[in-house]
Amino acid sequence: MSVTTASTTASSIEQAVDDIREQCNGISPKMVLFFASSRYDPVLISRAMHDAFSEAQVLGCSTAGEIISGRVMKDSIVAMAFDERTIEGIACSLVSDVTSPDSLADAVRELEDEIGTPLDELDFQQYVGIILIDGLSGSEERVMDRLGDLTDVTFIGGSAGDDLKFQSTHVYLDGKAYTNAAVLALLKPVGEFDIIKTQSFKPLEITLVPTKVNEDRREVMEFNDMPAPLAYARALGVSVEEAPKRFMHNPVGLVTGDDFFVRSPRQIEGDSILFYCMVKEGMELALLESTDIVADTRRAVDEKVRQLGGASALINFHCILRALELEEKGQDGAYGSLFTDIPTIGFSTYGEEYIGHINQTSTMLIFK
Amino acid sequence: MTGKIKRMIDIIIEKRSNGNEVLKNTTRTKLIIKGYNPDRWTLQSEDDPAKIAELKQIARDMGIEL
Repeated sequence: MSVTTASTTASSIEQAVDDIREQCNGISPKMVLFFASSRYDPVLISRAMHDAFSEAQVLGCSTAGEIISGRVMKDSIVAMAFDERTIEGIACSLVSDVTSPDSLADAVRELEDEIGTPLDELDFQQYVGIILIDGLSGSEERVMDRLGDLTDVTFIGGSAGDDLKFQSTHVYLDGKAYTNAAVLALLKPVGEFDIIKTQSFKPLEITLVPTKVNEDRREVMEFNDMPAPLAYARALGVSVEEAPKRFMHNPVGLVTGDDFFVRSPRQIEGDSILFYCMVKEGMELALLESTDIVADTRRAVDEKVRQLGGASALINFHCILRALELEEKGQDGAYGSLFTDIPTIGFSTYGEEYIGHINQTSTMLIFK
Repeated sequence: MTGKIKRMIDIIIEKRSNGNEVLKNTTRTKLIIKGYNPDRWTLQSEDDPAKIAELKQIARDMGIEL
């Protein structure tokens, strides 16, 4: 395995990319994955990274914070370069309009043409997918749902950020920058790989069932046949006015056996609650309570490293809400240090992708 | 009539996973996210025509013949 990580906080794009290129001098990369703060002009940074690594497949996205081995960063660029000892094959395509099923179908066809095999025939133990998607498109659920229909290969990734400005997020491929789009990368790693999905919550003994929703707006009008804010507040024993203060620490989770997929409330609007993720009518959602992100992540990473017998690289798609909580508690240093011994890059996302679209979670791709 | 939805769910999971335990779990999770939790349906569940039509479409989308 051969992977190199690089980071920079240089403010000019030219200097920043020179810096990244220099740190990657010891490697002939087949693929370069980079995550860049939104302070870097999207068009210019995508072109500059592509030009700097013209021999490699270059892809990336804008962020709301970055992670490099051992450190949590802000206003920076982080990159990971993989050579052919790590990645045997790579195919990339662009979903140019994430709201269009045809656009996704085109992107999938492009991947299939490139690798010469239909996605539904690929061995999920030999291939893994990365998805980087516009974090303000509200389309992640549909894209992930359809991808999951088409293939058993796991697609893992994150929703691009823009440093909490909520104006515009970008994905990068082949030297160009796109909004309302997604980059799909299909990798054939040389060695073993695995997925980590970790969230720091425990389910309480309270179930909320959405009985009236607007899926397109990620809106729940009613839980348990009651106005959603009232039902949520009652479940926690607080007033409706106090309820939003509990959103971060008490989201809800779709229980899937012994795991759950977090759905985070965003705000109360009239008699509804708007979420960061779509929920469907009739789904049973457990009310959750937050636990210790640093301790839980350490446990999850250590366990996976032990199972794999070591780790040579890790890509961390880390929810911005987790990043904010860590910052609020002064724990971002402790969180970053969890990745000191593993070559790591990551970014603070506007949503995480793994099987579906998730909130307040870290999804990680780890290579042996 | 009862039980059709449970049987359809089981067939989707079996055909999609082809006996592989990892794929069985993944397919179950995909169905739960789509709103069809396999544990919530039994052979006593009513045959709701709307749900059956939706599941048929899900099977088609997943490339499975029921």
